[in-house]
Amino acid sequence: MNDKFTFVQKVVLVLLRVVIGWHFLYEGVAKLLKANWSAAGYLAQSRGFLAPLFQWMADSPGVLAVVNQLNIWGLIAIGLALILGCFTRLSAVFGMLLILLYYLANPPFVGYYYSIPMEGNYLIINKNIVELVALLFIAVSNSGWYAGLDRIIKNLWGKK
Amino acid sequence: MDTPKKEERGKLGRRDFLQGVATVPVIGLFGYALAKERQYVKAQKEIKLGTTEVTEEGEELNVALLGAGAQGSVLLNAMLQIPGLRFRAVCDIWADYNLKRAVNLLSKYKFEVNGYEDYREMLDKEKELDAVVIATPDFWHSRHAVDCLNAGLNVYCEKEMSNTLEGAAEMVKGARQTGKLLQIGHQRRSHPRYIHCYEKIIKEAGLLGRIVTVNGQWNRSVQEDLGWPARYAIDTDTLKKYGYDSMQQFSNWRWYKGLGGGPIVDLGSHQIDIYNWFLQARPRAVIASGGTDYFSPEAHEWYDTVMAIYEYETPEGVARAYYQTQTTNGSLGYFENFMGDQGTLVISESEAGGTAGSIYRQPNAPDWDEWVRKGYVTAPKIQMMKKELDISNRLDVRESVSPDEHQIPIEFYDPYHKPHLQNFFNAIRGREALNCPAEIGYETAVSVLKVNEAIAAQRRLTFDPAEFEI
Repeated sequence: MNDKFTFVQKVVLVLLRVVIGWHFLYEGVAKLLKANWSAAGYLAQSRGFLAPLFQWMADSPGVLAVVNQLNIWGLIAIGLALILGCFTRLSAVFGMLLILLYYLANPPFVGYYYSIPMEGNYLIINKNIVELVALLFIAVSNSGWYAGLDRIIKNLWGKK
Repeated sequence: MDTPKKEERGKLGRRDFLQGVATVPVIGLFGYALAKERQYVKAQKEIKLGTTEVTEEGEELNVALLGAGAQGSVLLNAMLQIPGLRFRAVCDIWADYNLKRAVNLLSKYKFEVNGYEDYREMLDKEKELDAVVIATPDFWHSRHAVDCLNAGLNVYCEKEMSNTLEGAAEMVKGARQTGKLLQIGHQRRSHPRYIHCYEKIIKEAGLLGRIVTVNGQWNRSVQEDLGWPARYAIDTDTLKKYGYDSMQQFSNWRWYKGLGGGPIVDLGSHQIDIYNWFLQARPRAVIASGGTDYFSPEAHEWYDTVMAIYEYETPEGVARAYYQTQTTNGSLGYFENFMGDQGTLVISESEAGGTAGSIYRQPNAPDWDEWVRKGYVTAPKIQMMKKELDISNRLDVRESVSPDEHQIPIEFYDPYHKPHLQNFFNAIRGREALNCPAEIGYETAVSVLKVNEAIAAQRRLTFDPAEFEI
């Protein structure tokens, strides 16, 4: 791999990866610790073209239980992986997928109103999209190579 | 600087290893932050659980219930959750119905109690009693309470203390002369949320600033008159003996002049009592409007709709307090709302309906971060952006922005009357002072009964400070 980045750029790249990982990890842990947390409310008030899908998830208890567990443990796993820089590309891609689902469930499109509070003003682009694109950059820049377990993994078992 | 490509496969350089584990300490940092956060949440939760703490059982108290109707049952059910009580007797003139029901309930809890129709017989025969709980109609309170006090009993008497001030004054004197305890059933005085709001929020933190206006209400939906099972009807002679003309009157005594005081007394006195407490003042005048606007005036002698405005001379200046009670529409239920120059407190005894306990900071008030940290109020709710967006293009510069909304972190899931009864029994054991002794009940009776007078007089009535004193 070529050293495309200066030292400062690498530090920032790692920082970006770690803070996003922290956010994922805490989102997962917080839901885990909240006794009766469920995505039902968020899913049930879904808007947009995928709304029927999300509402179906909210309405069927079996599916909802799986969705809740996948979400919680997915967030925790992705968060840990990003902080540690381990399987960085893979976890960044899964992270983007999760965020995309959140975004599509409640997209800030023109004319949609939600009863859950939003802590900002958005037109099409919201913080979900910003985090998603940041993860995209993590994935393409292979941040885990710089200060990350990926460096150890690749060195020990990776292909040259 | 690093040249990973030069490393051989399967081998790991020291620098690569160090770089590889460089972010592992972040997990530790996360764990530390999480532990701190959990500690904080746990501490907040402990503050929030305002259920009355379990006091160790004291000496067993022998208790009788005088009046086992609807309110008597409420008190009985609350008392059955209080340890250290031994029920000995129940008295009710409706022997075939109320009395039987209460005796049966108590026998389920393994209390062998004697039932009485006449309270004097009970006082003659039951010589071991420590306390009596009175939940008879208002016009009986004075005689019942005074006779029980004279028989050497400590008395918990439902509010309204009496339907007349003369009767209420006799009760104050009775308690003073016998040296026995007389607790009046304004049970909010012992409610953990009300105590928190007065002691911590108003008195200690002063979050409301100077309270200038107050409003409150108890709105009720239309309710049918109470009926009774015909085969259990009390015979006319017995009814007459105890002051009732008919079963209709016996069942619905609250609506009759000479027996009760109507909704302003039944409902309003609980809340007007809080006005006096939180303002630390007695009213100096009241104007009021009311009437039997909806129900038939034959069966509803007292006003079904009342609106009253009190003037208070508080230690900090004048305050005006509005109160309304109506019996035709239950919207927004019941609550009290105290408005100061720094904050607004909306409080209710009810956990339902969203008015249980919210406090709003005026934008010009100093920040409340310290009180949030101490757990006196919760962190403010995030205001919904959507709402502001919708009005932002219309918001006049002279309009005030909506204040932050905080919650009062006291949830209470015990029966409403339990802490007040507990306070009474602990006072008998010498552990606590009464939260609502006769003198306070009297002040509230003076404040409330004047509303009915003002409606009849159709003018502003003033209070002479001497009226509140016995």
